[in-house]
Amino acid sequence: MTALFRLSNLSKTYGERRVLNVEQLEISPGHIYAIMGPNGSGKTTLLRILSLLTFNTAGQLEVFGEQINWSKSQLLRLRRQMAMVTQSSYMFEGSVYYNVAYGLRARKISERETKIRVQESLALLGMLDFMNHPANNLSGGEKQKVAIARALAVNPRVLFLDEPTSNIDPTSSVDIENYVKRINEEHSITIILVTHKIFQTRKLAKETFLMWDGRIIEQGPTRNLFHDPQDTRTRRFLKGEY
Amino acid sequence: MEVILQGIKEGIGLILSLDPELIKITLLSLQVSLSALFVAAVLGIPAGTLLALKSFWGRKTLLNLTYTLMGLPPVLAGLIVFLFLSNRGPLGEFQLLFTPTAMVVAQVLLGFPLVCGLTARAVMALRQEVYDTAAMLGATRTGAILTIIREARIGIIAALTTALGRLIAEVGAVMMVGGNIQGKTRVLTTSIVLETRMGNDSRALGIGIILLLLAFLIMLIILKLEKRSFKDDSTIQII
Repeated sequence: MTALFRLSNLSKTYGERRVLNVEQLEISPGHIYAIMGPNGSGKTTLLRILSLLTFNTAGQLEVFGEQINWSKSQLLRLRRQMAMVTQSSYMFEGSVYYNVAYGLRARKISERETKIRVQESLALLGMLDFMNHPANNLSGGEKQKVAIARALAVNPRVLFLDEPTSNIDPTSSVDIENYVKRINEEHSITIILVTHKIFQTRKLAKETFLMWDGRIIEQGPTRNLFHDPQDTRTRRFLKGEY
Repeated sequence: MEVILQGIKEGIGLILSLDPELIKITLLSLQVSLSALFVAAVLGIPAGTLLALKSFWGRKTLLNLTYTLMGLPPVLAGLIVFLFLSNRGPLGEFQLLFTPTAMVVAQVLLGFPLVCGLTARAVMALRQEVYDTAAMLGATRTGAILTIIREARIGIIAALTTALGRLIAEVGAVMMVGGNIQGKTRVLTTSIVLETRMGNDSRALGIGIILLLLAFLIMLIILKLEKRSFKDDSTIQII
């Protein structure tokens, strides 16, 4: 099976500071992957490079089997197969419908089809009743659900989640975790989750990467990584020492 | 006090009398300022967006220059246009001096930096995530930039209303390049100056009231046109 993402000797520097240095990384389709690590370990930078929102400074990046050349047309074509939800998702001024329909309208999908897909996505997240509400009047948890519906509406191959539950209450967090699991299982969408929450990783991820100082220091099936961490830094991180 | 009361009375009287001369002056005021605002908006909104979003050599200098020109004295704007359009100026052959076109050009010079500078501020106030969200939802680069402009629209409307306020109330530039010629380039502000000079203080004040009402009406229309933007405009609650 072709890897969705293949990175080799990839690095990102800001001035003199190297914030990311990944020797090898391969992500195959179909699973939920978690990227964990302390603050400043490079998780979000890695996610932004994978989602083609940030240039890498050096190294090779392959997305959906294509070597990245950062051309406008390539970025558009590849990004249209991805979606992202961040920790406090930005909602465009306008209704929930406007927000969820945004990606479909960008793809010039007919208004009839757009309406159907918006309704389906919102229904999946239990947010159909909010369709005509102003998106920015929703609570944090509701906004996150709309953001996931908005991402789902465009039917992505990969969904990036950057700490999607860090700013919301525990009940909404659990709801969102359940939706994420369902999306992965029922829609076969590969999910790449950046999270601080150890329990969330254990609950959702099939495979986990642990990052430290811009490097992936340990990776493998989540169960193995939690039961038998090889690196002392992983052990300390899992004990909550960082 | 008497002059003020008399002025208010005269203003109401002037409005009710539908004086043809005054209607002509009012319409010309509107025509000049709205045309200038339109040109300033067509040029200023894209220019401000570009200044806010694109990094290029000299961007900071251009931004600072724009902010400085936001306070351009109207008389100076008038003088610049005058020098260009006068017979000895580089554009003298077009014979535009003392025409409404010259007045529009002078007002564009005043309005453009305001629209451009305030649009740039409004766009810069938005966070990176607006672009990221649009791009990750599959918007083209142009589509994402249009979304940024849409998201900054409250600030852009503020830019337009500020510019219009300045243009409609401005006297120095239109006086210099228009010449306050009766029936040709006389507008409300230059009429006020003329009436005051002639000692008709209350009539001048009356025209001033009409000018104020006009500005208020235009603002209302602009805000009404964009009422969706302000519908959910929640205020900061200070307790």
